[in-house]
Amino acid sequence: MLPILIQQLLNGLSIASVITLIAVGVTLIFGLTGIINFAHGEFLMIGSFVTWLAVQAGTGFVPALVIAILAVALMGLVLERGLFRFTLTRPTNGFIVSLGLIVVLQHVVILFFGPNQKSIPRPLAGVWDVGGVRIASVRVMVILVTIAVVAMTFVMITRSRYGRALRAAVEDRDTAALMGIPVRRYITGVFVLGSALAGLGGALLIALFPVTPFTGGTMVMKGFAVALMGGLGNLTGAVVAGLILGIVEGFSAGYGFSEWTDAYSFGLMILVLLVRPNGLFGGTSGPKMA
Amino acid sequence: MTLLSVRGITTGYGPSIVNRDVSLTLGENEIITILGPNGAGKSTLLRTIVGLVRPRAGSVVMDGEDLTGRTPDVMAKRGLVLVPEGRRIFADMTVAENLRLGAYARRDADGIEADVEVMEGFFPILAAKRQQKGGSLSGGQQQMLAIARGLMARPRVLLLDEPSLGLSPLLVKEIQAIILGIGARFGASVLLVEQNAGLALSVASRGYLMQNGRIVTCGPISELKDMALMRELYLGGATEPAS
Repeated sequence: MLPILIQQLLNGLSIASVITLIAVGVTLIFGLTGIINFAHGEFLMIGSFVTWLAVQAGTGFVPALVIAILAVALMGLVLERGLFRFTLTRPTNGFIVSLGLIVVLQHVVILFFGPNQKSIPRPLAGVWDVGGVRIASVRVMVILVTIAVVAMTFVMITRSRYGRALRAAVEDRDTAALMGIPVRRYITGVFVLGSALAGLGGALLIALFPVTPFTGGTMVMKGFAVALMGGLGNLTGAVVAGLILGIVEGFSAGYGFSEWTDAYSFGLMILVLLVRPNGLFGGTSGPKMA
Repeated sequence: MTLLSVRGITTGYGPSIVNRDVSLTLGENEIITILGPNGAGKSTLLRTIVGLVRPRAGSVVMDGEDLTGRTPDVMAKRGLVLVPEGRRIFADMTVAENLRLGAYARRDADGIEADVEVMEGFFPILAAKRQQKGGSLSGGQQQMLAIARGLMARPRVLLLDEPSLGLSPLLVKEIQAIILGIGARFGASVLLVEQNAGLALSVASRGYLMQNGRIVTCGPISELKDMALMRELYLGGATEPAS
């Protein structure tokens, strides 16, 4: 029983890693702009498709991953400059724009690549046998990359001058501007950072599973659930809630209820929000509008 | 020598006009004040000068450069810094972080660290509370921090919006001494907006009187004090003189 449990736990954590990458992007963008970007799942899906395209074109997985990050970051830049910046004073409009983007991005992808699932050969095929526990190295890779990237993001936000300015802009946009902080540029920067994380998540996801143009929908729902559980706008919260989600999904699958996994995840979210309406770590209420 | 010149500023929110054709000047090393009842449009004028509100007409000229319509971060880089009403301390950040945020526009890391020490000397309470969250400070301490944070930008013009609001008479006296020292210690001119006419009149050399969004009169403080309108609006009222 135990070996299977550990395997399922690793499975749960590797999926939760991708979801955490979405949740971090969603929570950062919400904290600064008040916009809940539901198209973030499509950003992830496009990251997967770009990875697939690059691998098809003959690159290795690592270059494909880098291309996916850059491509989705560029897409985030264009969409922020072209669309979301016009909705900054009315975050609800930004939310609606993101809902529209879901349909547009999905259909653009279907138009070019069709609705069928795409997959790439496993970038790491090795399976380790540790005392009867079979560990797929690709899953460990996904978890480790996510830990490294999330830790880097965390250090940047808590320690650097830019992170300090970002936190100030999240807390009080107008007053941050009075300090000389170019808030608009930070908003663009956070959109690009969140998009880059989605691009990375997409590359990691297609390393684990086949991806369809509709994958973004389920992933963003869980990413949003994780962001909400942790407290919308709270980075630490998103990471811890992502970890909890991974453990719950792993255990529920490990005990033979894999078809109930999604129900457990969302049940947990509802339970957390009933007990702690602001999430486990307390969220921000979005930007103060003067 | 005129440092800041505000010319014919008109502002409003939606259909309502707040300021109409407001002009004022501020010289080097000068302290001036805008007096006026609640809702006269003083805060909106300050927010317009630093770019938080876009003027509908008029211009803001600093040192000969037209800065009208620029965003607050550009204004701060040019040395035009507002200490906002209600202090607006970053509550989740430490006193030390708040101070360093004030210097965001500066690139001289050594100068910034030196200025943190200067501020902790000028406002000893900030040294004692260095690692505490801004939100845990009392109102008076937050006001000290807000002024120090503004000064960290090494502004040429510091705009103070109601620094005495909600403070005890003793603390108001402290604020008075601080404002008087800003010119000598930091070489900044001060534009002060105050409900507390006693405080404003005791630190400023010139004043503007604002009513319903317009400047109704201006002049040296000694002359303003004698005006019938001033007496009617303030000096007979319940405001507490700080001197």
